[in-house]
Amino acid sequence: MLANKRGSLIGAVLAVTIGILVIHVNFVIFQGLYDAIVRDMTNYRFGDVHVIDDEDFIDTSDLVLVNWFERIPYVEAATPRLSSSASINATKFGERHEETRVSVLGVDPFRDMRASTAHETITDGQFVFSRNSIVLGSWVARDLGGVQVGDSIKMNVVDRWGQDKVKQFMVSGISTSAGGQGFDNTVLVHIDTLRDMLDRHGETDAILVNLNDPTKAEEVKDFFLRSFQNEEFDAETIEESAEEALHGFRSGIAMINLIGYFGMMSSGFAIVTILMMLVTSKTREIGIMRSIGAKRKDILVLFLFQGIIIGAVGAGIGTAAGLGYTSYAKETKMAWEGSLPLEVSYNWTKITQTALTAFGLAIAASIYPAYRATTLQPVEAMRTV
Amino acid sequence: MHALNDVTFTVDKGEFLLVVGSSGSGKSTLLNMIGLLDRPTSGKVIIDGIDTSTLNDDNLSAFRNKKLGFIFQFSNLMQDLTVLENVLLPRQIQGSRDNAIKDAKDLLRAVGLQDQIYKRANEISGGQAQRVAIARGLINHPTIVLADEPTGNLDSMTSDTIIQLMKSMARKLNQTFIVVTHEREQFGDIDRIITIKDGRAFEGEGAPKMEVAAK
Repeated sequence: MLANKRGSLIGAVLAVTIGILVIHVNFVIFQGLYDAIVRDMTNYRFGDVHVIDDEDFIDTSDLVLVNWFERIPYVEAATPRLSSSASINATKFGERHEETRVSVLGVDPFRDMRASTAHETITDGQFVFSRNSIVLGSWVARDLGGVQVGDSIKMNVVDRWGQDKVKQFMVSGISTSAGGQGFDNTVLVHIDTLRDMLDRHGETDAILVNLNDPTKAEEVKDFFLRSFQNEEFDAETIEESAEEALHGFRSGIAMINLIGYFGMMSSGFAIVTILMMLVTSKTREIGIMRSIGAKRKDILVLFLFQGIIIGAVGAGIGTAAGLGYTSYAKETKMAWEGSLPLEVSYNWTKITQTALTAFGLAIAASIYPAYRATTLQPVEAMRTV
Repeated sequence: MHALNDVTFTVDKGEFLLVVGSSGSGKSTLLNMIGLLDRPTSGKVIIDGIDTSTLNDDNLSAFRNKKLGFIFQFSNLMQDLTVLENVLLPRQIQGSRDNAIKDAKDLLRAVGLQDQIYKRANEISGGQAQRVAIARGLINHPTIVLADEPTGNLDSMTSDTIIQLMKSMARKLNQTFIVVTHEREQFGDIDRIITIKDGRAFEGEGAPKMEVAAK
């Protein structure tokens, strides 16, 4: 009966499809961005479990701690980190460039390459390999007048006693990464060199622990804290670190999702409008159906069935299109011209939930037009031209 | 003011009853009430011994489907359905599939449309559409077939054909027909005529004269 209104039905299906697609695109982009940031935080800065001292620097031997962690089967590797800030200067083409308040990260090169992917951010040269080699973040290198691999720079730190300590380094590599979680604004040096300069022998800022099974992070953390009860250690899983650091971002994602669902609701209004137009244009046919014996509930079912068809087809096409887009995004990581590669995943719970919501919405949106169709009186309806 | 007033008559099975009257006399209102599409403000329509005023909306619909057949002035077919599907529609609404297609094809053969059954309703002529409407009106073996100006939209030659077809179907199936028209002459010999004038019903033709005579 309604088949010759294919255009209207296609319009309604399209409304559902677009509603679903918007939610998929939102999810891929914003959740992908969030997960990418968490991924980089894990890989570069925090590991799966991040250990610090509540009060001060960790003075327990880093070797003891790293070996303790690496005996746990879930742990892939662990590495110590020490951080500070410094001013750096370099002379390039006879001109002296100076950068102050640059973050300095001390790493144990060999352990760090197993426990983190910091070394993979090196786009030119190589990672820290000796006591006097330094890796410059790309922004630091740029601000120092375009320092390159092989150039010499001087770094000045203030030690624990307030004394300036200056040391000359050779640039071994330049680090570049997208997304702000990398080391573009940081310099990396050997941890023992930094300890010497700060006069903090044997001290560590943090232990970064990389797990081969990240789902065991909570278990490893708890085990660590139980085992070192007498120390003032604190440990956080990456979820906890991310929650703390990215709380605002998560609220933003929730807001974007809400906007997506509002978009889907406007699809519902589009369906109501389209079906109301359908009822109006089919008034005469409804009158004929009623006159030859169709009950009100038959008419109701007829229009609700349209809603079911619209919902099912729209949810099917929308979900297929959304999965197609997700698959494309997963393949390309949506990373162009040095942008942060997204961490795209298939969230089947959310995909199912979105499809079912759209399907339900289409049916709900057809209730009012269907009800209106049932209230038409056969005689009046048949007079409609 | 009422469209109809004090109208009482009985129709026997197999009777071909013509309801005539000028435009606005109330004959279509009468047909709508017999067809249970309108409810009278007072009074009853009794069909097959059932007082239809006691039926609720769902039962009225089912009653219309089972006991009444309709032929409208503009055939009122579903334009996007085929001829066969249009004829089958009342049976499908009833939910009965027994011999439905055979019955529909038999009826379409009887009205001379056996070659058109798979054509869409918008692909056939006005006369053919009215034949389809007759077949549709008869598919559920109704108690009464109600026809509202069935030839009002047709040329005189096609009108004659349709009238003869209705009369022959009435004879062949012993089917009660109540036909509303303002073109009495086209129908020739008829079992019975009721004239509606100013909302009142008069037995036979020439009601105005009878009314005058009554005074």
